[in-house]
Amino acid sequence: MRALKKLTVLCLGVLSLTSCKSDDPEIVMQSSDPLKVTVQPVFGGEDLLLDSTYQTPEGYDIQFTDIKFYLQDVRSGLNLLKDVALFDYRLRGTSMIERTGDVVNYPNLQMNLGVGASVNHNDPVGFDPNSWLYISNANDMHWDWNPGYIFVKIEAKVDTIQDGIALFDHNVVFHIGKDENLKTLSFTDINWINIGSGYYFPLKLDMLHFLNNGTSSIDVKTEYTSHTMAGQEVISAKVMDNFKEALTPF
Amino acid sequence: MKYLLLLFIIITVALSCKKDKVEHVPTPYELKIPSHFPVMQIPEDNPMTVEGVALGRKLFYEKKLSGDNSMSCAGCHAPSSAFSDPNQFSEGIDGVTGTRNSMVLVNVGWNNFFFWDGRAKTLEEQILIPVEDPIEMHDDWTDVMSTLRSDVTYKNLFFEAFNTTDIDSTHAAKAIAQFIRTMISGSSKYDVMYKAENNLPLSASEQIIYATVTPEETAGYDLFKSLNGADCFHCHNGPLMQVQKFSNNGLDATFSDNGRGDVTGNPSDFGKFKVPTLRNIEYSGPYMHDGRFSTLEEVIEHYSSGIQMSSTIDPLIEFASQGGVQLDAYEKDLIKQFLLTLTDETFINNPDFQEPQ
Repeated sequence: MRALKKLTVLCLGVLSLTSCKSDDPEIVMQSSDPLKVTVQPVFGGEDLLLDSTYQTPEGYDIQFTDIKFYLQDVRSGLNLLKDVALFDYRLRGTSMIERTGDVVNYPNLQMNLGVGASVNHNDPVGFDPNSWLYISNANDMHWDWNPGYIFVKIEAKVDTIQDGIALFDHNVVFHIGKDENLKTLSFTDINWINIGSGYYFPLKLDMLHFLNNGTSSIDVKTEYTSHTMAGQEVISAKVMDNFKEALTPF
Repeated sequence: MKYLLLLFIIITVALSCKKDKVEHVPTPYELKIPSHFPVMQIPEDNPMTVEGVALGRKLFYEKKLSGDNSMSCAGCHAPSSAFSDPNQFSEGIDGVTGTRNSMVLVNVGWNNFFFWDGRAKTLEEQILIPVEDPIEMHDDWTDVMSTLRSDVTYKNLFFEAFNTTDIDSTHAAKAIAQFIRTMISGSSKYDVMYKAENNLPLSASEQIIYATVTPEETAGYDLFKSLNGADCFHCHNGPLMQVQKFSNNGLDATFSDNGRGDVTGNPSDFGKFKVPTLRNIEYSGPYMHDGRFSTLEEVIEHYSSGIQMSSTIDPLIEFASQGGVQLDAYEKDLIKQFLLTLTDETFINNPDFQEPQ
């Protein structure tokens, strides 16, 4: 009987001790740091400025006047970083994506270069007014319901006559869209850079590499326009392929 | 105890005698935005109200906003001219003419910048400028507001619109901006064509209009959009018939007016001007920033064969090196017939936009 009493006291003691232990759910350190993805257009080794003169691999002087493109469904596995983002170098500089989140959720990123077919043909007035797909925000990046959005827009002027006289009278216009030209991008082992106030992932867009990446080149004297129309499939595909190759982590 | 009771009674009486502060809560105004249009972004500090719109309308036609009480906003934005000026250049109260054509006021609520050179970033900011411009209304907002404050009718209207008697020029600009944001045009034949093209439902009345679309108008629209045709749609498309950008559309080889370039100081912007809407173009002539073209035929001819090369020409003028898109006479006529579908008579004649009696 005495032993039973002792056991009861012991059990009560253990129970009271364990019951006093606070609940200890899995500790989740959710941080919401500012996360930024930036894109710096460059031309070879130097930052690219719109309206400034660079030289193509063929030796022509070229001035880029507009660079815009869509990234859509930017995610790391199940973690969505951004549903859609529009790069507009002239209007918004190097800014691509800005949001808050936990950087550990995005060790790698996959995304569409362009706008996926599931939303590409939706009514542009039907999106949230804050979306980059909304018609007012898309502005000149939307054609109409079909073919949908312009995925990549590059406009430039070229001096094709190498006589020392600056005459940029040769226009380069690449407006590439349509579902068949959608590309996917994947960046692994991303080195998010801690800048104290948040993290950023810098990309560069090398327009010299776009014009000639060693295996594929675009001679703007002869390959200077595409609106993704019938008969322009080859140049449209080349523009998208080269653009994809030119967009890389810094 | 007696004194305490007396004091209590005095305080109670004093409080009960205090005049109630008069308040007026303006009535929210619901914009009638066509179903195929985007939402209009309204500034948080200037919500649309029935009273604000009514005041803005009265101010829009108010000649007391000018130095000699002879000119109102409507002087250069006449309803009969699609709320623009039929003259190449508008003449101010001192007889001085400007150097740019008055812009049309239609669907302005969707614009991201104002004036041909975009120097105003908001509609409210834009409205303040012509009143004090020496070549326009040549007045002073301090004097204008002093005049309006001494007018009992305006005093009441401002109070009803903004629930304050402490009014200044920003209140006047806000009211006029509210009125201008109601000036929405979305009932032209083009709107019906646009909706049908994009499989948007047509009302019974729209179906009747759609049945009147001629083969020439359809062909003109196709040509308007064709990259190998007139190639107009790069800058003029969608329900607003404009994209928000500045462009050098090849008017001159050298510039007498630097346009956007004078605002930014960037030589790459020289000769660039705001892309205007083409809505109601039938009534909004003369055309271009300097009103150099009197007729639609001249405008079409410019894009067909009159393009001038320059260092800042828009790359989207893809046939610039050939002088233009080289339309033949029949194609030019098709384009004109399509442009006329952009006329919205219900907008032009909307009694809500006319001078209040």
